[in-house]
Amino acid sequence: MKYADWPLSAPVNLTWEVTHQCNLKCIHCLSSSSVESPGELDEAECRAIVDQLATLKVFEINFGGGEPLLKDFFLPLLRYIHTRGIVTCISTNGTVLTDEAVACFTGNPLVNVQVSLDGATPEVNDRIRGQGTFHRIIKGIERLAGKNIPLSINTVVTSLNFMQLGQLKEMAGSYGASLRVSRFRPSGRARESWEMLRLNPEQLRGLSDWLGDDPSILTGDSFFSISQDGRRHLGLDMCGACKMTCCIDPCGFVYPCAFMQEREFCGGNLRETTFKDIWDNSAAFQYFRQLEPEACRKCPRFNSCRGGCPAVAYFVSHDLNSADPECLINWSRDISAAPPLEG
Amino acid sequence: MRGILSMTCRLADNVQVRKENWGLLFYLETRHKVFFVRSGDWLYPEHFDGTWTFDGIINDIARRTETPAEIIERSLPRLTERLIRSRMIIDEVC
Repeated sequence: MKYADWPLSAPVNLTWEVTHQCNLKCIHCLSSSSVESPGELDEAECRAIVDQLATLKVFEINFGGGEPLLKDFFLPLLRYIHTRGIVTCISTNGTVLTDEAVACFTGNPLVNVQVSLDGATPEVNDRIRGQGTFHRIIKGIERLAGKNIPLSINTVVTSLNFMQLGQLKEMAGSYGASLRVSRFRPSGRARESWEMLRLNPEQLRGLSDWLGDDPSILTGDSFFSISQDGRRHLGLDMCGACKMTCCIDPCGFVYPCAFMQEREFCGGNLRETTFKDIWDNSAAFQYFRQLEPEACRKCPRFNSCRGGCPAVAYFVSHDLNSADPECLINWSRDISAAPPLEG
Repeated sequence: MRGILSMTCRLADNVQVRKENWGLLFYLETRHKVFFVRSGDWLYPEHFDGTWTFDGIINDIARRTETPAEIIERSLPRLTERLIRSRMIIDEVC
């Protein structure tokens, strides 16, 4: 039995999108963030959720989605979470940092900060994150660098920035930060940009090789299915949705992961039921825990990865029983089927 | 054996732990890593608060699970040594 199959009484970590409000409009945004949604949770409701999570001993909360620093009570909420001993990771676009936020993060053992940057040059980054954002993001990174804040630069790997990954790693290093790469997945606004920004099989192979050669690059758990086995020991080696992690949206709905925020996958709403009840009993969560895509069951790697990222499979094929189209087996097949290059 | 029995263990810095029905789940804050220990109903997070001696833990397990103390004495050191090697807990001499 794999570790991720050991039933957990609560997630190890979860993603919490405290708002859909964002001052940027990135073309790959997983939650289509722009303006605050009607009915977002208020501070008292958020604190009550924190109390539940602390009682369940959830170890880590990752804030993302919209821009968390735009939520007026975000920093007080963060401080409250820290009083409960929960580790936090704040994913920010880096453009709205305040002195108060930087002070709250500095030297805080329960804080990790991740700044999103999608290119090593304005020409590449700004095509994804918006005109003029590169320099604003760099200013934000400079405000955080050297302040005893565990810092990473997060890049969603796309066809536009694929060739700049080495530069991005150097850039991160120059600020004392790590480079973390995320998979580009066709949820939210990324559905419209999927065909333009997705990696081709050759790029997927290049990414797999690059990650295999450099264990210092941080990755999300969805990389287990697209990279070589040598990297697997660095992290979770199968989809952790509903097993190790889940996602709370700004209105209190709970989903298997940040990339699966479809109504049909919703486990429940925290205004109506407890987090524990959703985690233990919701039909959607129970379904995800036993999900083994039919298309993958005869694959030689099935016992290793159990079918790759369901979010990519679902949004490409609308079928949770189909395979992750970017998994190592699939891109290897695509490459071998391609006509030989003329030289 | 007497030396070991009077030792206490506590969680290492930046490590958290919680009880699961199959054992203990440790979490290393700085590396965001989890560590699964299939200890069943033997160990509880409280055993690593720095106040429990090895001897006390053995007696507690024997009392709760009705497992003979000699079996626990044989198995427990292997488990705790693994946790010490993984830097999840630190052993201390009282």
